[in-house]
Amino acid sequence: MVFSSILFLFRFLPIFLICYLLTPGRMKNFILLLGSLFFYAWGEPVYVVLMLISTVSDYIHGLLIEKNRERKNVARGLLISSVCINLLMLGFFKYADFLIGLVNLIPGVNIPLLELPLPIGISFYTFQTMSYSIDVYRGEVKARKNILDFAVFVTMFPQLIAGPIVKYHQIDTELHHREMNLTQTRQGMNRFVIGMAKKVLLANNLGLVWSQIAGGTGGELTMFTAWLGIICYAFQIYFDFSGYSDMAIGLGLIMGFHFPENFNYPYISHSITEFWRRWHISLSTWFREYVYIPLGGNRKGLRRQLLNIFIVWMLTGIWHGAGVNFLLWGLWYAFFLILEKTFLGKWLDAAPRFLGRLYTWVVVLVGWVFFELGSWDAVSSYLVSMFGGRGLIDNNGIYTLIQNAAVLVIAVIASTPVVTSMVKKLEGTKTGLAIATYRVGTMLVIPVLFLLSIAFIVDASYNPFLYFRF
Amino acid sequence: MSERVHAYLNIGIICAIIVLLMAVDIFNSDRTYSETENRVLAEKPEFSREAWFDGSFASDYEEYITDQFAGRDKWVAMKTYSEMALGRSLVNGVYLAEDDYMIQQHRPQDFSEELIQTRLAKLDKLVKKWDAQVMLVPTADNILSEKLPVYAPYFDQKAFIDRVRDVIGEEYLINVYDILEEHDREYIYYKTDHHWTSLGAYYGYQAWANHRNESGYPYNPEGMKEVTTEFWGTLQSKTNLNGPKDIIAYFPETEQQPVSLVYDMQTRRKSFYEEKYLDTKNQYGFFMDDNHGMIEIDTGYESGGTLFVIKDSYANCMIPLLAPHYETIYVMDLRYFNAKLEDIMNMYKPAEGMDVLILYNCVHFLEDFKYYE
Repeated sequence: MVFSSILFLFRFLPIFLICYLLTPGRMKNFILLLGSLFFYAWGEPVYVVLMLISTVSDYIHGLLIEKNRERKNVARGLLISSVCINLLMLGFFKYADFLIGLVNLIPGVNIPLLELPLPIGISFYTFQTMSYSIDVYRGEVKARKNILDFAVFVTMFPQLIAGPIVKYHQIDTELHHREMNLTQTRQGMNRFVIGMAKKVLLANNLGLVWSQIAGGTGGELTMFTAWLGIICYAFQIYFDFSGYSDMAIGLGLIMGFHFPENFNYPYISHSITEFWRRWHISLSTWFREYVYIPLGGNRKGLRRQLLNIFIVWMLTGIWHGAGVNFLLWGLWYAFFLILEKTFLGKWLDAAPRFLGRLYTWVVVLVGWVFFELGSWDAVSSYLVSMFGGRGLIDNNGIYTLIQNAAVLVIAVIASTPVVTSMVKKLEGTKTGLAIATYRVGTMLVIPVLFLLSIAFIVDASYNPFLYFRF
Repeated sequence: MSERVHAYLNIGIICAIIVLLMAVDIFNSDRTYSETENRVLAEKPEFSREAWFDGSFASDYEEYITDQFAGRDKWVAMKTYSEMALGRSLVNGVYLAEDDYMIQQHRPQDFSEELIQTRLAKLDKLVKKWDAQVMLVPTADNILSEKLPVYAPYFDQKAFIDRVRDVIGEEYLINVYDILEEHDREYIYYKTDHHWTSLGAYYGYQAWANHRNESGYPYNPEGMKEVTTEFWGTLQSKTNLNGPKDIIAYFPETEQQPVSLVYDMQTRRKSFYEEKYLDTKNQYGFFMDDNHGMIEIDTGYESGGTLFVIKDSYANCMIPLLAPHYETIYVMDLRYFNAKLEDIMNMYKPAEGMDVLILYNCVHFLEDFKYYE
């Protein structure tokens, strides 16, 4: 079930919220667990078992690690066991065919592929449960005694299938004790609607442009059309994913959870280093906390740091999927991050701001070509178009731009903090006119966005969630 | 308005929308068919263990609930209008052109070189063997290209027809492009349908006669008889937009002789025109009873000749105009026919021979012109 669907909005959500509200304090987690299991089982009637196994396994590991805290080696062994179970699960479902494919490259070897469908959200929840075992091992949090609370942490439907990846220590206390209040409910609900509008009104529409451009006769794209196409894709994936995160954060807030932010206007970045501080924050901080820093981070000299960057971005790449293209996409970023660490960063600091932004955009856009097109033929053909190998411009490109100019302008504005900071300012100013504008504004804009989104959902010939594949 | 009141209102409005729509939706009875979208809507799936575990129940149920959502038609219209407000001039593959014209989009990349060559090879074979005349009618996007949104791409049919001419030879190709272009300010294409009008077909007939160096039968465009002024065609169905309606008219001269048509060797009718279609969505079906695989026409004219037409739906309003030139006309629509074409042609060919006319619009020709050999 996806959030931007009639089924979720007009069946699941209202019924769930009413049950949740009517249930007294301590029992709320029980309702949340039931709702989440139904939500997940709706899309994954079989693999829901896998998620429960992962939950029970990490619950037990957590308790055992805490019990054996004094016996360093045992605790460490238990941690390794927990991490291995998670990685094996992830590895089996996500990477087995990729590895078999590699082995099959050896002449004479021909192992049949497993062709298992990827369980929805497995990349997200295994990372969440690993964060729990590690946090417990590090003594940053206490192990959960109450399995219900822990199960809620793993299975909670708002962020279960596409993040943000909540690290255990971030919501430890809220699992047990959280409050619902009027302001949070209002903010959460508005956040949800805005996220849905980003997804349905911006991402889906620009995604359609991209799929028409990329899906057409690829060989004949002019430079203009190719850039237009990949720009549309860049906005699609951003609004798709950040919209989903907004919806998750909003739903969490309604129930009293404070999930971490996942995006911070990545497309205004002036360098790749900055881009990765603003893009999919919950994933990059996960790797930072649990891989980069344990490997020594920047504390063991420049050469070691560069190696660590290389490792982390290779992992970031293949986290997105078992494919050479994702690996290359990760390494593409590692390459520029290393350049920036060594000399480029200083140059960029000295250069005019727009140059840094232009450079970042070009690197990111070319990155998306790798990321999205996958096969080497498609990527190289697309790059030839992008860099002028097939003519500059044609009517088709101009017409596509004219058709989507308004949506693109809105997308550009929405990808900068302009509107949000204006709204925040209005909300924060407690004087009569500003706050009145804010209040009347939200009461008009939010319902309009909501109704428009419903219209686009009802007539959705195109409504994918990009991050469900990962 | 205090913060509290604002929060209550803000939350209340959204919750009211959800609860109201949910309530209306639950008590809303299911429809099997959507007139406006012209398609069958999903039905409630049956629950079974297998369907649940293989996931098909979930996806079918979601499709069902979306298809049957309360006020579906209005939501779809709201989406279209909001897209138009943002400057979209293409709705569901239809250009919203000037003067309230809806014009179907045909992009250059929709027709591959391979497809074009396949069709031309088949055409050339047939033309040379039967000495056939070919009439490929351009669609509205070419003749009315000035009405299209700026920079709107379209498949260049003038260039395509030039290629056809190069392949089959000038003497076999009836030039209908120029005459339609000459009259592009007249009502030669419907505004809400992908066909040409009877007036358009009249110019097609002129081109046909010119090609034979004849002046043709003196049809009077001023005297055309209107049968409906309430025609909403296929393009209106696709866009689902309110707009002006089209007029369907015909030449009363075509009713002067007692004609007899036999559809698919079964049904005999005494007119080219079927009024029963005027009460349906498919009003263009008025011409020659919509589409049939095989029609045998006894025109009532005693000119003695025989014509064999291989055609698409564009021909339906033009064939009546050809009646004065032939005593018998055979009409074949390849889409509804799957036997060897030449066997049929040889079967119908009278001893003194027959004329063969291949009559399509360019797009239908590229999409549908295929036959068994």
